[in-house]
Amino acid sequence: MLKKKLILSDPLKFLVQETNNEIINGCFGAVASRAGVGKTSFLVQIAISSLIKEKKVLHISIQNPVDKINLWYQEIFSHLTRQFETKQSKQLWEHLVSHRFIMTFETESFDFSKLKTRIEELKTQNIFVPHLVIIDGLSFDESILTELDDFKKFAKSHDLTTWFSVRMHRHQMSDNNEMMEQIYGQLSDLFNIIIQLVPEKEQIQIKWFTRVKDINNHRNLFLDPATMLIKENPAR
Amino acid sequence: MNTIIQKVRNIGISAHIDSGKTTLTERFLYLTKKIHRIHEVKGKDGIGATMDSMELEKERGITIASAATYCQWKDHEINIIDTPGHVDFTIEVERALRVLDGAILVLCSVGGVQSQSITVDQQMKRYQVPCIAFINKCDRNGADPFRVIDQLKEKLNHNAVAIQIPIGLEADLDGIIDLISMKAIYFDGEFGDIIRTDEIPNSLLETAIEKREELVDAASIFSDELTEAAIEEVEIPDQLLLDAIRQGTLKRELTPVVMGSAYKNKGIQLILDAATQFLPSPMEVDNVALNIDDNEAPFTLTGKKEDPLVALAFKLEDGQYGQLTYIRVYQGKLMKGDSCINVRTGKKIKIGRIVQMHADQMEDVEKIEAGYIGALFGVDCVSGDTFVSPGLNLSMTSMHIPDPVISLSIKPKDNTSESNMAKALNRFTKEDPTFTTFVSNETGETIISGMGELHLEVYVERMRREYKTEIVTGEPSVAYRETITRLTEFDYIHKKQTGGAGQFGRIAGFMEPISDDNFVFENKVTGGAIPTQYISACEKGFLSCLSKGPFMKYPVTGIKITINDGASHSVDSSEMAFQAAARGAFLQAYFKAQPVLHEPIMKVVVETPDEFQGNVMGSLNQRRGMIIGSHDMGQITAIEAQVPLAEMFGYSTIIRSMTQGKAQFTMEFSSYKQVPKSVLEEIEKKIKTGT
Repeated sequence: MLKKKLILSDPLKFLVQETNNEIINGCFGAVASRAGVGKTSFLVQIAISSLIKEKKVLHISIQNPVDKINLWYQEIFSHLTRQFETKQSKQLWEHLVSHRFIMTFETESFDFSKLKTRIEELKTQNIFVPHLVIIDGLSFDESILTELDDFKKFAKSHDLTTWFSVRMHRHQMSDNNEMMEQIYGQLSDLFNIIIQLVPEKEQIQIKWFTRVKDINNHRNLFLDPATMLIKENPAR
Repeated sequence: MNTIIQKVRNIGISAHIDSGKTTLTERFLYLTKKIHRIHEVKGKDGIGATMDSMELEKERGITIASAATYCQWKDHEINIIDTPGHVDFTIEVERALRVLDGAILVLCSVGGVQSQSITVDQQMKRYQVPCIAFINKCDRNGADPFRVIDQLKEKLNHNAVAIQIPIGLEADLDGIIDLISMKAIYFDGEFGDIIRTDEIPNSLLETAIEKREELVDAASIFSDELTEAAIEEVEIPDQLLLDAIRQGTLKRELTPVVMGSAYKNKGIQLILDAATQFLPSPMEVDNVALNIDDNEAPFTLTGKKEDPLVALAFKLEDGQYGQLTYIRVYQGKLMKGDSCINVRTGKKIKIGRIVQMHADQMEDVEKIEAGYIGALFGVDCVSGDTFVSPGLNLSMTSMHIPDPVISLSIKPKDNTSESNMAKALNRFTKEDPTFTTFVSNETGETIISGMGELHLEVYVERMRREYKTEIVTGEPSVAYRETITRLTEFDYIHKKQTGGAGQFGRIAGFMEPISDDNFVFENKVTGGAIPTQYISACEKGFLSCLSKGPFMKYPVTGIKITINDGASHSVDSSEMAFQAAARGAFLQAYFKAQPVLHEPIMKVVVETPDEFQGNVMGSLNQRRGMIIGSHDMGQITAIEAQVPLAEMFGYSTIIRSMTQGKAQFTMEFSSYKQVPKSVLEEIEKKIKTGT
């Protein structure tokens, strides 16, 4: 019951509509912003949106410990279910947690071949068969583009929807549009969807780019700074 | 005994299992001349470490009961509690931290911040214990103390800063560079007891300068004078830096990190220096008691020896001279021949022999003053009792004691064993509040309960060894619980007319599930439908149904019963009739309320070499485990899972053979969760067949 209500009120639904469901189904995407703007909370919303649709989520974090990632999920989930009965929320939470696997790596110990082995092991032993893979905290530079391309093929062959966080540095932020075009230019071959989080005044605007077309004018979406949940600005 | 309280340190040594706590303590005792020879934990001399005074501890190489000892370092008196590393014995760690003013968190330079380090760190936070960190085993292959410092920051949120750096690592560990004095220190002699100070080797000078800058930077937050000196780039006096680090440590906002190798006797003297320099004296810690006369309101103790006595019995031991009670005095003083009150019983106690302990040897003293730790003979009390001067009614904060999760039936083989077993159980339950025992009404067997398989195994072994008790143990059993899942109404009439006075009572109301309490009874009867004098009989009647639930014969928890109507008879109603009516009402509603069975779920953390992580995950998965996550640290992966306790019996043997003994795991109670239907059927079968 609660699950149905959550699916109906899923803050991600606007983006799901805009991207023809691709955002949680078969996408190889990236969320880009500078540090501390909300990449992880955005990715966690994608994860929770998948979890409530019975899709299993493998959350990879580079550097952050398991407990910290779990706290992100708890925080976002409690915002999403605030209006509902506590007992039902608790039951649903326990159900969702059983569909989620957090895998964390020390920065120096992460590499894509190891990740692929791990995913294959989990699947072969039937321990965990993910639908969505979130990779948060990966350092993006030219050197990993080939590996990413390789991982994209792997994701496709294993039917995995994959989302990355891409951290941009302050010096890249002088002109958002120009910067985004630059990033899009570099990564558009790789990612089907790139979502950019841009702090503007007191809100964090959500802009997205797909390979087909730039459709960021259809809806005015932002992250509510109080809850970090995706909201639509009806004024526009 | 040092009479200047500012020179006293009550410290604990906490860490993950096998990080070298007992080895470290052994070095402390040797260097402070408390012992004259070092015995290794699993040493070839077969003597075992001094602090591991129990025979079993020496054999297994683990510390089971924390022994208290004191030693002198330079002009300071240090009371040390050696604490166990296995999570089954966490109550010992908690008790130790309750009475300590500071702690040394020991970490392995290879393993880093491990699962149990996180548990003990949480305990230290709970009791606001300032700490320093010691990164041990810098002589091991793969040692990387700076990675461990990063983990202290990331995993434990410590503002950790190195006050030393090693000279060489792994097999090349030669000595330590002290970043405060900026000197290289070497430890010569067979046991590293000859200190040689030298200039910093050129090859490490640049690193030392860089790390000192980091240290000054971190410490300057706690001293304006130090900040000014750092900005003006003038020479910083050692004392100024020491004072700033101390301020930060006392506030728990800075964790100074020392490093070395206890086994190779490198850096130990510097840990003792750091403990005396940075950890608080008893006067610098606020201790709060509960005022029983004021609804347990917090009451801050003065810590002055002239004030009335407040002391806590934090550990009991039964030795050859009778019961030994370890005690920490928080305020006032305990004098030989004085009297005090045990707050729990209200009884007056006469203080006889007072001693200070050194592992299993002791020294007689005349008194214990505020801030000190000692032990009393011949005092009848249980662990956690508070002693006060007559006229005071204060109790030290009650300790968090978890419920036992595992039980085992035990049976003595002969008559001698029977009486010895009773003696042993009496002692163990007094010493350890997480270890309980009772006699089953049904089978007549004695049941012991505790916090894990190893916990019970150790007590069974101790009964055999210390009390010469031959006992047969049954299969361990899990503490299942029944509960209901929906609100259900009841309306039950108990009526009996079999000649003579009859019995009549009617009870109506509802039962509902609750999550934050075991049992709640609410009376909403109006207009005297059930006369007031029978309400408590109703509650009693319901309570009597809870110890053995009608569903699977396990205790019922998480239930609220509200009565809102009823009827009585002027002649035939009685307490007995209403108790029977309550039992009838309970049975009437219970099955409609859809009862379920809950089982204890354990948080299991396995640390395994990378190559076995797939197998370990598979083994947890097979045990109905839900894997929460894994943390890859390069060579080692830590896997965290929630696994039903019922599936974890014998897991230590399985994991040992699966990983060639290279993995280790810790397990602690997490929560109760509903038993899945398929498993429920198996349990039902077992109950029916009596296996």
